[in-house]
Amino acid sequence: MYFEKKRVIAMLLAGGQGSRLHVLTRKTAKPAVPFGGKYRIIDFPLSNCVNSGIDTVGILTQYQPLELNEYIGNGQPWGLNKTHSCAQVLPPYERNDKKSGWFEGTANAIYKNIDFVDRFDPDYVVILSGDHIYKMDYNAMVDYHVKNDASVTIAVRTVPLAEASRFGILNTNPDNSIYEFEEKPKQPKSTNASMGIYCFNWSVLREALIADEEDPNSDKDFGKNIIPNLLNAGHKMMAYNFDGYWKDVGTIDSLWEANMETLGKNPEFDLRGGKRETIYARNSALPSSYIDEDAKIVNAFVAEGCEVYGKVVHSVISVGCSIGKGALIEDSVVMPGVVIEDGAIVRHAILGENSKVGKNAVVGGAFAEGEKKQISVTSKGAVVEANTVLLPGEML
Amino acid sequence: MNVTGIIFTNDATMGELTNKRTSGSIPFGGRYRQIDWALSNMTCAGIRHIGVISRHSYQSLMHHIGDGEEWGLELEEGGLEFLTPYASATNYLYRGKLESIYNAMDFLEYSDNDGDDLVVMSDSAILANVDLADVIRSHVASGKHVTVVTKAGIANGEKKLDLALKLDDNGEVADMVVDFAAAEDYVASMDIFVLSKARLISWVKEMVARDKYHMDRDLVMGGWRRGQIGINVYQFAGTALYNESVEEYFANSLSLIDKETRHDIFNGNHPVYTKVRDRVPTYYGEKCDIENCLIADGCMLEGEVEDSVLFRQVSIEEGAEVENCIIMNDSVVGAGAELKYVILDKNVTVTPGAKLIGTKKNPIVVKRGETV
Repeated sequence: MYFEKKRVIAMLLAGGQGSRLHVLTRKTAKPAVPFGGKYRIIDFPLSNCVNSGIDTVGILTQYQPLELNEYIGNGQPWGLNKTHSCAQVLPPYERNDKKSGWFEGTANAIYKNIDFVDRFDPDYVVILSGDHIYKMDYNAMVDYHVKNDASVTIAVRTVPLAEASRFGILNTNPDNSIYEFEEKPKQPKSTNASMGIYCFNWSVLREALIADEEDPNSDKDFGKNIIPNLLNAGHKMMAYNFDGYWKDVGTIDSLWEANMETLGKNPEFDLRGGKRETIYARNSALPSSYIDEDAKIVNAFVAEGCEVYGKVVHSVISVGCSIGKGALIEDSVVMPGVVIEDGAIVRHAILGENSKVGKNAVVGGAFAEGEKKQISVTSKGAVVEANTVLLPGEML
Repeated sequence: MNVTGIIFTNDATMGELTNKRTSGSIPFGGRYRQIDWALSNMTCAGIRHIGVISRHSYQSLMHHIGDGEEWGLELEEGGLEFLTPYASATNYLYRGKLESIYNAMDFLEYSDNDGDDLVVMSDSAILANVDLADVIRSHVASGKHVTVVTKAGIANGEKKLDLALKLDDNGEVADMVVDFAAAEDYVASMDIFVLSKARLISWVKEMVARDKYHMDRDLVMGGWRRGQIGINVYQFAGTALYNESVEEYFANSLSLIDKETRHDIFNGNHPVYTKVRDRVPTYYGEKCDIENCLIADGCMLEGEVEDSVLFRQVSIEEGAEVENCIIMNDSVVGAGAELKYVILDKNVTVTPGAKLIGTKKNPIVVKRGETV
């Protein structure tokens, strides 16, 4: 079979368990978690690829892949199903050599798919992860990488010094070349945090992956092994500054915050955008939403296929939800297919897909300004029975 | 038994709305085109070989349907075909459905005929969620030549109907009229027919040879009157929206606000598929007041909207008041503007403070792309 040679392909790490999202990822891989009313987290890196002109994406899955695989399908919603483009799901599989079996780390996942990458004979490989919300032109990063004649380029963003010890920190020279990489340092020397987005010369990465497999003590991880090893070996490594919106939505709090940050007339993160900024998603065949005469919606997103009879304030309501008469939804993320019955009150909550809040039930609560908001969460299909309470911070 | 679908998208007479469109490509219900119902009804019944017959202005229709992907019709075998007229020694711009089928004979004769193959025909100006699989079962069980799907309560002695039938106590056809404002005791044809493919092919060839081109008059009514064609009547119980004039279109659009009508037309078990647009969810601003409306995706709402249907990516600016309106894709209603009984076609800009007041019988229609 003939494979067109590609300048750049992307490998998207989508196999993580997402355990910090607790009940939301009990049955769903993190990249398949709904976001922003009609999207899933993976739509952001996938759409970024398409908008950057990258038409070949390998998607590495491992944890709870069923829903994610079904969602990606043949890549049609992102236009990645053409003769010379693909969104190829790459699950672990059995074979009769070292590349057999489960992925044992981010680097190992790519190592086990060297054959896939080789088919396209790419000059550059962009490594992405499936748990970030952002819009980015990867092509600009590749151009920067090429212009600087680097072996590796890492996208970085400035984080507050107090938070820097939670990230992989890159210490750079004045020309933005990297001289040191510290994974979650106790005493950070800079505030350049790695975004987990890498551009490699494929020949360099390929060799590094094979070498890393020989090391029995390696964690087989990009941040812990591949990047430090290449740096120590003297490869030119550049930092690529990205100052747009970017959020790791790996926790309940950050997922809730990121959803809230899409709201407003001039939101921190604008889901809209001009040409080459569209976020594509698999669309459901649902009709327009009905807004009743008694409904009131203020500063909120409501996606298709909803029936709203109650009040919605500062919230994201996803496709196919219904909100009963006299119900109040405030500061909440309501995922697809949720039913909220008459008189229910939902505040500071994330309601998982197809969950249900019964009549007059109360979920979550209000918080004073500055007080830590404790988000209540319902898992997929959970039912908060009528007239019962799900306390702030509680999960069902 | 293979079933082939034929959808006619008529040359509609709805003034500005059909200026550059066939009836099939008129936007309806916030995010659809009228042909979506006929197409979705067929694909939900498992029909995978569908021809769309259109005489004029089919550009926007072709753009909408593409290769039929959204309806699952992007197939190697069968799938969707546009049967647009073309001139050749044996072809000419047709006058009626029979001639249009005659022109598209290659399409009908293309697939192998098992002998019991059927054709389902549908128009695209009458919108209903019809279980065509059930209609086909009824047709086969009846043993009749042609099944006509009908709707009671449409004939009123005023509305001119393409085809109306009077039924006797046994549900048999007692009378048939064509292009006539039949009285209330008639049932209206929904322009959906089921018949054998082999018969259709031979009838069309014979009729066209005798200069007959009118499907309802010459084939259905004529055949029945001559005693050659037995008619099975399938009485449809659900909602059927006849969009045959601007007034009807306007009233039917707003009728979707009614829960029962809406749930009937967008039956969850038989989804209505349409072309996907990647729009963000609709944003409801701090000061918006939306009551009793059907709202599509991608809108930006800051003003007041009541009893209206908004299509995708509509922007209602602060202080604007919209009541009993249909506002199509990408239109903008400027700050403080006031609209009552208005249909804004796609891409219309209403400048801030403008005032447009129509009536229920005569809604104001603003042409595509205009600025008011």
